[in-house]
Amino acid sequence: MLRQLAMNSLPALGAKTNTRRVWATLWIIVALLALPAGARTRPHYGGILRFEIEGDPWQRPNGLARRLMLDGLTRIDANGVVEPALALNWKSENEAHHWEFQLRPGVHFQDGSSVTSVTVVNSINVACSANCPWTAVHAVGSSIVFTGDSPMPNLPALLSDDEYLIAADAGGNIGTGPFQLKGFNNAVLTLTANESCWAGRPFVDAIEIHARRSIRDQWLDMSVGRADLVEVPVEQLRQAREQHLTVLQSPLSTLLALRVSSSGALANPDLRWAIALAVDRGALFNVIFQKQGEVTASLLPSALTGYAFLFPTERDLNKSREKHGGLTPPPLTLSAEEGGAMQLAAQRIVLNLHDAGFNVQVVAENGAHPADLALRRIPLASNQPAAALEAMLRGAEVNAPVLAQDPARIYTVERDFLDTHTLIPLLYLPRAYAIGGRVRDLRLGADGTPQAADAALEDAP
Amino acid sequence: MNLRQKLLLMLSLNVALVVAAVSWTVLVRIRHVFEQRDQQETALFVSQFQREFQHRSADVAAAVDRMAASEHVRSMAFEVAQSGDASQYVTEAQMLAQESQLDFLEIVGPDGNVVSSAQWPARFGYPEPSVNESSITFLKREDLPDGSSALGLFAARAVRKGDLNAAANVWLVGGKRLDQSFLGDLPLAPGMMIGLYSDAGSATAATALNAFDPKLLVAAAGEVNGAARYQPLIDSARISGQQTSGIIYLTSRREDSVNATAIPLKSDAGTVLAVLTVAISRSGMIEAQQQVRGIAYGVAAGGILLAILVSLWIAARVSRPIEQLARAAEEVAQGNWETSVPERKRKRGSDEVDVLARGFNHMTAQLSSQRERLVQSERVAAWRELARRLAHELKNPLFPLQLTVENLVRSRALSADEFDEVFRESTATLSMEIANLKTIIGRFSDFSKMPKPQLERIDARDAIERVHLLYEAAGDQSEAKIQFDVNLSAEAMPLDADPELLHRALSNLVLNAMDAMPEGGTLTLSAKSRGEQIEIRISDTGAGMTPEECERLFTPYYTTKQHGTGLGLAIVQSVIADHMGTIAVESRPGGGTVFVIELPKASEIIV
Repeated sequence: MLRQLAMNSLPALGAKTNTRRVWATLWIIVALLALPAGARTRPHYGGILRFEIEGDPWQRPNGLARRLMLDGLTRIDANGVVEPALALNWKSENEAHHWEFQLRPGVHFQDGSSVTSVTVVNSINVACSANCPWTAVHAVGSSIVFTGDSPMPNLPALLSDDEYLIAADAGGNIGTGPFQLKGFNNAVLTLTANESCWAGRPFVDAIEIHARRSIRDQWLDMSVGRADLVEVPVEQLRQAREQHLTVLQSPLSTLLALRVSSSGALANPDLRWAIALAVDRGALFNVIFQKQGEVTASLLPSALTGYAFLFPTERDLNKSREKHGGLTPPPLTLSAEEGGAMQLAAQRIVLNLHDAGFNVQVVAENGAHPADLALRRIPLASNQPAAALEAMLRGAEVNAPVLAQDPARIYTVERDFLDTHTLIPLLYLPRAYAIGGRVRDLRLGADGTPQAADAALEDAP
Repeated sequence: MNLRQKLLLMLSLNVALVVAAVSWTVLVRIRHVFEQRDQQETALFVSQFQREFQHRSADVAAAVDRMAASEHVRSMAFEVAQSGDASQYVTEAQMLAQESQLDFLEIVGPDGNVVSSAQWPARFGYPEPSVNESSITFLKREDLPDGSSALGLFAARAVRKGDLNAAANVWLVGGKRLDQSFLGDLPLAPGMMIGLYSDAGSATAATALNAFDPKLLVAAAGEVNGAARYQPLIDSARISGQQTSGIIYLTSRREDSVNATAIPLKSDAGTVLAVLTVAISRSGMIEAQQQVRGIAYGVAAGGILLAILVSLWIAARVSRPIEQLARAAEEVAQGNWETSVPERKRKRGSDEVDVLARGFNHMTAQLSSQRERLVQSERVAAWRELARRLAHELKNPLFPLQLTVENLVRSRALSADEFDEVFRESTATLSMEIANLKTIIGRFSDFSKMPKPQLERIDARDAIERVHLLYEAAGDQSEAKIQFDVNLSAEAMPLDADPELLHRALSNLVLNAMDAMPEGGTLTLSAKSRGEQIEIRISDTGAGMTPEECERLFTPYYTTKQHGTGLGLAIVQSVIADHMGTIAVESRPGGGTVFVIELPKASEIIV
């Protein structure tokens, strides 16, 4: 390009002497531009990364600590493609009713024990004992064999899910990941580098995860250099940039959706439909989430399927009232995850539903008595539409494999499910973190989690 | 009820009425004084409340004014007006409200829609009509996310960047809660209780009058005692929109009642948003009233006791002599004319009772002497009558005796044969008249010495039948037909009597009855048992007698007949009296006469 630029500039510049000057100037410029790159050295080993989060590092799904300590048979790379992890390779037979995953040899857990097919099968059985995508899982030599009464075309992608990470113990504290548990004191989880990690020792020596820190305190610590990675809630992305924080933002990786009970007061599908029509996604997107992310009425993002526009996102209050009709349901309850934006979004949805004639109240989460409506963040499990859809349907307790692989048929599956109005997609949101000045090479995975194994510290000795 | 009891009752009533009237007057006055005091205290409190209300209003207005004048808010207003994008300020109101210590704050955009709300963050984009309020501060009921609503004192201010005459970029609507903490700042008089009732907390606060909920009436310290009792007063204030007062009984005890006033708190539009209640305990008044009542009861009791003593004294002085007089009068009426009442000898004159006693005694003495004189005169009259009768009776036969003797003397001069004939006629006449004289004298002698009855057990029915049979034939044969009618009871009527004397008495009565019916009539004989007595009735349908004649009927030698000794009924009375019986007469002129004889029934029948 430079050359072309130079060539185009020649007639204007004229004589041969001018050509040399131009070339010299151009090379000087290139050298100057390359200087910072050349000044960057290779990442150093050592140092302690300090993470601060608002929630629980063990929370599911995609708790920060789990991904740092555990591996699955497969994993999703930064581009959303399934790649080997503890499984070296895999093959399917019998139209995906039978899968065999070959274990990576020579892998040890952080306690020194070997990773065998038996331990892997045990871990998988602990992770999923009922309603699994497979019917049975066996250890056969160094392989793990999955068999199913139904086809399992998306099994490799499913096995990369947070749910199926392999641990040596039932508590999930001993894995094969780049970091291992050292201790948990005063809400600080300390992970040290796994020297014998099969994927290679991470650059940093340890990671301290300070849990239960408010966003305000996290940013304050970041500003005074006491934190290397802090959370940036989606709705505060603009604010973070205004404060000149270095922000890492993932692709749209989280679906904000309203889960609607299909029993009790909302057993009538017309009422659920009325709820779906009453929600004002625009207000959620424009105000609460500060135009970050993407308004959606489909389970999969537009970038993945291309047909998201076929699901209308506009609010239709008149039709909602029409569907509501003369039905008078009892007062409904709505629960939401913790977090300012989630609670605000829940309150806003309550207002929207009130306009449509519903009487809804926000309540605290209660496992014993689930609310009629629940506002949830559902991670996008994969960049493969079928696998991602199947994972979402499984999350919605619809245990049906998505066999279709072409968009039209996937659309049909998604349409059929969304027509039940038991899950109402609202927004697709990214995940974001702010990193400190001394952190380098820290990237976010496809699911938005920080890939700390590749991170290093500038000032590491 | 005697005089003493009447006196006692009258005196007691007088005392009780006087005491009741006085105590009632005092009680009314006490209540009036206390109610006036309560009204004054309530009015004073209301003015203090209004001052505190204005003070709070000024605080709110000042806080909102400061906020509106701050550079930060003005910049925000400018930004919103310029960019039209207020989304970045959605959480601004919470921060500003915290800084200004306001309970409510909303930032409203130029379009009148909420940009940010501290109390309801999700309400952005919804219209806020308060920006159109004309008052500096105003009461408003603010809806909250949990479905409840809270009452607050609000102020709305426009925020302009630049030219003050330019249209407002944004509005600030801030406020503070009007709740228990506000009540705690109000000064209270002793015994005063205040409460605040609003529909805040009810899910349908936006509708018209809701059902009263006692839990919504709160005081500074928490719930109001007996809140449910305030319902009528509060509902009246809510409906009418006017201050309402009344007495409320918090429990069944009067001491727990209060004088309560309900003051409606209204929005600028006139809607009642809350009701302030001011209650002043009536325990002081009740205690005073109870004391007065207690004193009144004591005085009344003492008065009644005094009345008893006075009545006893009056009874001793007045009613006893009157009672004595009354008893003496009863005895006099029963015939005991010798009765007298004690007379008090008083040194200082005499009262009406003494005069009455003396008069009574004088009267009875006069009656006694008059009765003696009457008896004597009647006795003299009876003797005179007897003498007259005797003279009359004796004169009748004596005159023919005299004539006969004179005739004999004259006939001495006649021949022997003529003399013998005259002598025979004269001696016959003399014998007859002498026999007549003997009869008359015998009758008088009989009356003077009536024989004692020889009692036998007889049946009264037999005695009457005997008389009936004896005189019925004579009645049939007489020119004036007299019909006999006999009614005898079927049961036995035993008597211990002298059959001959009884027959004589009954015969006398029957003959008198027959004599009383010269034109004919009905003579009725009847007898029946009446308890321990046997009643015999002999009645006629003659001319009857006057009461005066009835009174003298049994007097010896009294007769209404031209011929007769006048001893018949006297003998009958004597016979009946000897048989321990009584005889009475019932008669009226033109109504016949009935003689009623009552004789004691014999105790057992001797068969």
